[in-house]
Amino acid sequence: MLASNQGHNNMPHQDQSCLSIDAFSLAYAGKQALHELTLEIPRHRVTAFIGPSGCGKSTLLRAINRLHDLNDETSHQGRIMVEGIDIHSPDIDVSELRRRIGMVFQTPNPFPMSIYENVAFGLRLQGRTAKRKRDDIIEWALTSAALWDEVKDRLHQSAWQLSGGQQQRLVIARTLAVQPEILLLDEPASALDPVSTLKIEELICNLKSQLTLVLVTHNMQQAARVSDFTAFLSQGELIEYGPTDQLFTNPRLRHTENYITGRIN
Amino acid sequence: MEINSESHSQHISRQFNQELEELKTHLMAMGGLVEKQVQDAITALLENDSKLATKVRDNDREVNDLHLQIDEECTRILARRQPAASDLRLVLAVIRASSDLERIGDEASKIARNAISLTESNNVIRGLVEVRHISEHVRKMLRDALTSFARFDLELAIEVVREDELVDDEYGSAMRSLITFMAEDARSISSVLSVMWILRALERVGDHADNLAEHVVYLVKGLDIRHSDPDTLEATVLDRDKS
Amino acid sequence: MTRIWPWLCAASVALSLFMLGLLLALLLTRGLGHFWPSTLEVATLDSGELIAGEAVRETALPQRDGKERLYFTANRDIDGARWRWVAIDSIASRQTPTKLLRLQRGPWGDFIGYLSAYEDGQQRLEGEAAWQALATALAAPANTRPPATLVLETADGQLIRQALADIHRAQRPNAMHPGEKLRYWAHGVWQFLSEGPRAANTGGGVWPAIFGTVLMVIVMSVIVMPFGVLAAIYLNEIAHQGRLTRLVRIGVRNLAGVPSIVYGVFGLGVFVYGIGSSVDQWFFEDTLPSPTFGTGGLLWASLTLALLTLPVVIVATEEGLARIPDSQREGAVALGATRLETLTRIVLPMAMPAMLTAVILAVARAAGEVAPLMLVGVAKLAPQMPLDGDFPYLHLERKFMHLGYHLFDTAFHGDDVQAAIPLVYATALLLVTIVLVLNLTAIFLRHYLRRQRGQPC
Repeated sequence: MLASNQGHNNMPHQDQSCLSIDAFSLAYAGKQALHELTLEIPRHRVTAFIGPSGCGKSTLLRAINRLHDLNDETSHQGRIMVEGIDIHSPDIDVSELRRRIGMVFQTPNPFPMSIYENVAFGLRLQGRTAKRKRDDIIEWALTSAALWDEVKDRLHQSAWQLSGGQQQRLVIARTLAVQPEILLLDEPASALDPVSTLKIEELICNLKSQLTLVLVTHNMQQAARVSDFTAFLSQGELIEYGPTDQLFTNPRLRHTENYITGRIN
Repeated sequence: MEINSESHSQHISRQFNQELEELKTHLMAMGGLVEKQVQDAITALLENDSKLATKVRDNDREVNDLHLQIDEECTRILARRQPAASDLRLVLAVIRASSDLERIGDEASKIARNAISLTESNNVIRGLVEVRHISEHVRKMLRDALTSFARFDLELAIEVVREDELVDDEYGSAMRSLITFMAEDARSISSVLSVMWILRALERVGDHADNLAEHVVYLVKGLDIRHSDPDTLEATVLDRDKS
Repeated sequence: MTRIWPWLCAASVALSLFMLGLLLALLLTRGLGHFWPSTLEVATLDSGELIAGEAVRETALPQRDGKERLYFTANRDIDGARWRWVAIDSIASRQTPTKLLRLQRGPWGDFIGYLSAYEDGQQRLEGEAAWQALATALAAPANTRPPATLVLETADGQLIRQALADIHRAQRPNAMHPGEKLRYWAHGVWQFLSEGPRAANTGGGVWPAIFGTVLMVIVMSVIVMPFGVLAAIYLNEIAHQGRLTRLVRIGVRNLAGVPSIVYGVFGLGVFVYGIGSSVDQWFFEDTLPSPTFGTGGLLWASLTLALLTLPVVIVATEEGLARIPDSQREGAVALGATRLETLTRIVLPMAMPAMLTAVILAVARAAGEVAPLMLVGVAKLAPQMPLDGDFPYLHLERKFMHLGYHLFDTAFHGDDVQAAIPLVYATALLLVTIVLVLNLTAIFLRHYLRRQRGQPC
């Protein structure tokens, strides 16, 4: 029984690791945003990044998808390895990488097209798919995102007519359609009402069997509810990383404790 | 992470601080009441004071009311604040501790009832020496357990756990001598049986005090030592103190 | 203190709307009223003189009490003037004889008087028969009309002879009932829209000007849109956002404020004299010294206006691009879209309404611009349309007519400004209508695009 409280023994082992971040630093416009972060993110688990605003959790998430490429003022050191391959290595196809690592953003961002076309977007980028096969994938993706029953009769209506929660699930379905290995979620429920939030959380738990999920959230209860592992970041540094059960009952460090329980630091 | 007794008054929400503070105060009030109940029950027995014993028996209702009140407060905090980490451990420890205290209260009223029947029998009561001896131990344990809860004092808590082993040993030897009394004098069987019940109750009070100490360890260190080996306990709890 | 503000704001809005309404009402009544066959009258003066004409307006007399009335008397070939002021108290009587005739003629402008006889070489018809013959002859197409001559009599009895070939329309407005007047009016409007100008732009229609305006605007849009949109995309999507892009933006916005005549000068100097002359030397050497591209023309005018509207297009498109949330771009990128794919599949379709807004603004600006055109290719009277059946159909080097310039020309360069005023209003109305129609088309297109995507309109 004692052993279960000892975080170190429960940390994801190297072999189970899907995503491994190794002394990764990131500077934006000369300002250091991430300081030598090192953590292993386990396969088929939900890992949550929590921390105060501006702590770098979103930055880290975006770095995994190489979204910081879009800004040419960033520079980085260290490595991020996906299944043993350095995502910054020069012979990596960034588009292919981003297909393998899906990303869902804070505000639902369905494209201004039909529900069907939204889900088909990623497939069309990859080239032509036979219509029947595409239909199958779209149905599968929407079913996986727990949206199929709600939209199957209006696939060709504009995606912008869906509710916020439905839009967010549509975005998840759109990402799932290209069959990523990792799904990054950047505060996916922060703009949603409680019921939609629960639906998204339920979905996150269900998706665990298919892929690895990394979740950034402001809502600590949410992290506690859905994640298996939690990393607490503050001011660009990894403060504490451990099984969610431990982090939320008995964190090792006062800093984490103070943040989790809402104390003055 | 180890916490101290100041930990629960540093929340950004002052309301939350206040709620947790009240919870602790109420538990300590309950602890104080229960401690007094045990003491009064023993005094009533030793001094043959049936009036005091009756008072103890009647006061048990107050203990039960406090128990219900504390439980309700805990439920409210869990529902409204969704406490995490040390706050969660505090609330859980208080729930468990209040239930232990309530049981101690029950044991005190059990002692009081037996004291009443003993005073009414007018026989010479054998075994009071053992009772006095064990009761002093148990009262100290209870006092220490409550103090360690109030101060978040791990060392004191571990002392209580260790003391419980002593009490158990003493209880064993007291039992043996009481059995000897019964064998010697068949007329005393009924009064000795009452004393045995009282000893049994005191031993239970010791066990609950031990539980209280264990809750303190859980509260302070997040370690659940309820079913672990007492010999390795000190090493586990205090070793990590240094880290 | 606080209560007065809403009233002030409301009042200024009301005033603006009122002025706008006034403008439209003026254009509509004066412009369309010009084609209405108004009543003609014969006024007998105290002196016994007879004046036939249309009463136009009245003003107070300058020296003494009373008013004077302006008559449009036409007959410039006879009286030497078309207008006559008459003091009202000097008029003995006014009649509106039904036989009074108004002719629209080629060389001398309108005639007002009586038809005395119709001679077509074989016969001479008089009275009502003459009018019947005239009406029949005018109903036929111009080239099939018989070579007839009219004998006309003015109100004071002078006789003149007038060849039928020079006559465009004849009316006896006092004899018409309202239905006939309306039909005559509609016909007049149609002629105005579909025919070429006559008598040095003081009469006839404006079809070449409409055509030239629309064609020039279209050619300009075709030129300006790709450049403007590409520039906006570069500024907003590709370029590093720094001091340089900010400078470029300020530059572009300021270009929009440069007076249009300056663009005209630039077009003349660079396009016409610079590029145009070179093009002539290289490709049209055989026709030199008469210039082909070395003089103002449709292409240079369109290019100049494209340059003029380029800032508008860039600014409007860029605003549209900036309004697209970054989350849309990131969403596409996160699905593995390249920068180009994101641009073509997400950003451009979403920016389409903004680009249409840009077209609207550019068209509205270009259609109303006159000053630079005067330097780079507009003509008072263009002999050939810039688009016709001759190869290569679209003649970019030709000069063209433009409504705005036509307006200017009619108003200030005719020999009879009074007579041109109604035409000016009609042309202005037409110009406003064309801009409105072009704008409405783009607005509906934008609305449709948004609806199609379920965007809020």
